[in-house]
Amino acid sequence: MDIQMDNILEVRQLSKRYPKSEFALNKVSFSLPYGSILGLVGENGAGKTTAISCILNTVQKDSGTIRLFGREMSDGDTDIREKIGVVYDGENFPVDWTASQLAKVMDGLYAKWDHALFQMYLKDFRLPEHQKIKHYSKGMSMKLAIAAALSRRPQLLVLDEATGGLDPATRDEILDVFLGFVQDESHSVLLSSHITSDLEKIADYITFLRNGSLIMNVSKNDLVYRYAVMRCRESQFLALDPDDILAFRKRDFQTDVLVADGKAAARKYKDIVIDHASIDEIMLLLTKGGQT
Amino acid sequence: MKGLLKNNYYTVLPNAKIFSAAAVLSGIFVLAIGHGMSWLIIGYMLLVMIGFSFSSLAGIRKENTTKWSRHKLCAPVRRSDIIKSLFLSQLLWLAAGAAFAGIDIALAVMLHGYPFDRATDVFMLYVAGIGISLFMGAVFFPLFFLGGDERNEIFLLFSLLGGTGIFMGLTAWMNHLFPAGMTPLQIIGSGMMILVCGVLAFAASCPLTVWIFRKKEY
Repeated sequence: MDIQMDNILEVRQLSKRYPKSEFALNKVSFSLPYGSILGLVGENGAGKTTAISCILNTVQKDSGTIRLFGREMSDGDTDIREKIGVVYDGENFPVDWTASQLAKVMDGLYAKWDHALFQMYLKDFRLPEHQKIKHYSKGMSMKLAIAAALSRRPQLLVLDEATGGLDPATRDEILDVFLGFVQDESHSVLLSSHITSDLEKIADYITFLRNGSLIMNVSKNDLVYRYAVMRCRESQFLALDPDDILAFRKRDFQTDVLVADGKAAARKYKDIVIDHASIDEIMLLLTKGGQT
Repeated sequence: MKGLLKNNYYTVLPNAKIFSAAAVLSGIFVLAIGHGMSWLIIGYMLLVMIGFSFSSLAGIRKENTTKWSRHKLCAPVRRSDIIKSLFLSQLLWLAAGAAFAGIDIALAVMLHGYPFDRATDVFMLYVAGIGISLFMGAVFFPLFFLGGDERNEIFLLFSLLGGTGIFMGLTAWMNHLFPAGMTPLQIIGSGMMILVCGVLAFAASCPLTVWIFRKKEY
């Protein structure tokens, strides 16, 4: 995916090293066009949260550039942060607060805070306004965080593992809200998750991270229509052209091989079974499998 | 700044509600049985002034148990404004404590007459309450942002003891400068010097905390 001027977010060669750990984000680049949803995928510790923290300036990058709305964001660029809604996994707000108190704080922090919209979300999500957040279920807390993020009327929604731990019905409800959000072409969503089915449902682009490095950056259409998994026997696997293999994983009686162009592979290897690749399978192959 | 002050207010509110109720009840107790027991009024005045300040500092720690501290950094506010709002909030809670102390001493005077030996004693009690609170805040804020979350309790205790220690040290120094038999003017002058030291320490702590917080990663 090329970085263009019509991107709401552009990340170029982003690096971040934590001195007290061996983890480092290593020259990661990706971009998020207006009107789309980008899923940041990777196993735990892959660097998703570090990348998001660098984007949001809650940690300082070592090198690289991050452009939000065409500009690098510094501490003083409060106008950029006005346009960003953020939802984290877990408890987003002090648990002693009520939704009503949260709204008063948000109203003071955000110039475009829309109290009527917040009330509408509270009603739609069936969230009691005067109950302390600590008495909310996990799903309710997450809905409140999403309601608060959307009621700022942001253009960019950043969600760090925001759907983790939710039941399927609640997740579905929330994913629909995100899809509704990007109906406006000036809006975008950056969603980090290791629940690949969520991304399969809503993401336009998928960025895979592993051990702090970018391993794949593709549109979901490419994943669905181009990428494929070949189910090879041992002898078939050994006969493959190494240039065709993106990743492979040996199983009991077969070896799964990820290829970038399923149709080309079908033409080249006529006797091998080729299946469409799910994001889940691609992630498994890229993170757990071997590479040539 | 308005949103940050509201944030700080709601963060401290649960503690402050409990402390306010305790302050009202103990204030009534002091007024009811405090006739001729000036030490009760002294204790009450110091308790409410230092206690409200302490509650405001203790409340801040709760933000770090959730992702809210990260959220604040994503809000359209500067890091320096977040710190300034914390300092301002502590002053407001100190003012609330001073108001409680003032109401109680005023009622005590009305009900039982002036409870102390010297006219300057009330002033010096305010100097003690405000001075210790300011020194406590000046010590706590930089330590809070410098140290890890797991050390917050010890920093809170350390700042309370540190604030009290600095005040005691300055008082001892004033007594050394003005030996026994201080005139009211000397007492007020000493008190003013301690207050000025407290204000300077508090004011100097703010940019130091901003400097530390700018480097802080969440």
